[in-house]
Amino acid sequence: MTTTTRALAHPASPLKRITSVAKLHFANPWTTLGLPWIILGTIFVLSLTVWGLIYWAASPAARTNVLDGMEYGGSSLFIFVYMMVVAIQAISITFPFALGYGVTRRDYYLGSSLAFVILAVIYTTGLTILAAIEKATNGWGMGGTMFAPIYFGDSALERVYVEFVLFLFFLFFGAAIATVWVRWKASGVVVFFIVVGAFLVALIALATFTESWGAVGESLVSLGIVGVVSWSLVITAISAVSGFVLLRGATPRNAV
Amino acid sequence: MTSTIEVHNLTKRFGKVVAVNDVSFSVAENKIYGLLGRNGAGKTTLMQLLTGQEFASEGTISLFGQAPVENAKVLQNTCFIKESQRYPEDFRPKDVFKTAPWFFANWDEEFADRLIADFRLPLDRRIKKLSRGQLSSIGVIVGLASRAPLTFFDEPYLGLDAVARHIFYDRLLEDYANHPRTVILSTHLIDEVSNLLEHVLVIDDGKLLINEDAETLRNRATNVVGMKTAVAAFVGTRTVLHRDGIGGLSSVTVAGLSESESRDAKAAGLELSPVSLQQLIIQLTSNETTEFEASA
Repeated sequence: MTTTTRALAHPASPLKRITSVAKLHFANPWTTLGLPWIILGTIFVLSLTVWGLIYWAASPAARTNVLDGMEYGGSSLFIFVYMMVVAIQAISITFPFALGYGVTRRDYYLGSSLAFVILAVIYTTGLTILAAIEKATNGWGMGGTMFAPIYFGDSALERVYVEFVLFLFFLFFGAAIATVWVRWKASGVVVFFIVVGAFLVALIALATFTESWGAVGESLVSLGIVGVVSWSLVITAISAVSGFVLLRGATPRNAV
Repeated sequence: MTSTIEVHNLTKRFGKVVAVNDVSFSVAENKIYGLLGRNGAGKTTLMQLLTGQEFASEGTISLFGQAPVENAKVLQNTCFIKESQRYPEDFRPKDVFKTAPWFFANWDEEFADRLIADFRLPLDRRIKKLSRGQLSSIGVIVGLASRAPLTFFDEPYLGLDAVARHIFYDRLLEDYANHPRTVILSTHLIDEVSNLLEHVLVIDDGKLLINEDAETLRNRATNVVGMKTAVAAFVGTRTVLHRDGIGGLSSVTVAGLSESESRDAKAAGLELSPVSLQQLIIQLTSNETTEFEASA
């Protein structure tokens, strides 16, 4: 009698419940932090090797040219796309687990979203620090570009914004895919990609038939990277909201 | 005595399959319930409905007086350990025990440590490298140490050996005595838990077949053994749940006998023995069911 009454009388606050779920994603940081940084580190070491080879193979006269070309490097792009994988893994792994702990879907989704925003902050900070080192060392001494490619913007501030927004985009797009997976498993994800694919084809067809590719190109150029990335926030928001709606109706199942 | 769970006319359909069919019952506070039934009878679905993991097609559920679906206030008082509970693959058991207290207000770390030692669970090995039995013991430890006011164990001991299962029963009883709470235990190993259970719910084909005090249920049927003719004479028109015979001997399970009936049987040279819970449920959930219900 007393046990029940006592436990019911002092429920954990909503904030505590949500932060507990967020912490769950970092309880073993291997998936969310460890592996991505290790892969990024490996790519960095490989890039260093390649830069070294090019740098020393090029004649001193041609080196300026080589340095210009390397501005377009950007193997760090991988880490953004990989965030989609991280989000999918994080949700599909912890959702059935958390519900067994008596967590509601609402708290689970809000807590996971909080974790994703924190991840975006962590990765943006990491890339910003590495970009600063890259700039300061003149491309790791060899003119290499991995963390501050020119298409992420010209200033450090622009880069921070672009990276943060891109991380959010991939994390929440991944979260939406994950909720489709949690709710309908593989068949749902297949349908999801067919729908997304059809939508993209429709957009391409629209641009082609109205002969507006020129206009599309112009507006992309005039928007600039910051503008284009800002528009992705619309898709990010749609993904985040649909993820929430989908997960509210999902039931944890063991079948894979 | 208040009831922790109230279920009215609960039905769950998956397409054309009716997994839970118009079930009504209540669960009293601070008792150990057995939820028994065959594979696919609807036990897991029922528990998922109770914990808000599934959505009811019809009917109402109330936990601690409120609907459980998406109700944090209610759900944080529950712990649901599933048969094949999945854990994040990269987790080690110690990560599970580190995170559990964030969600269970009554978590007892000392108790958890003691259970970890009891089950000889390696804490640093990755979940995917654990054996089936070790995985099950994680669930059992979380279920016990969480001390959730309402705890569900759904076949918690897949792959656990007999020793480990008995540790589970012992610790459950011991801890339950000191920290009363409502426990719902679903299992196939009916005889092993029959002394543990205070109340029995039997579900078959989605329908609630039995909702009875365990003690009453044990007295509901008796084995009558003796010479064929004597048994036949005694049984007469009584409902027979089960019949066996070798040569001139016959063994018949009949519905509960009154004291005077028992005396008559002994006087007729018949031997009476109680029917184990497991036998009884096997007989009730096989085809003789309707016959028994008609008379019960």
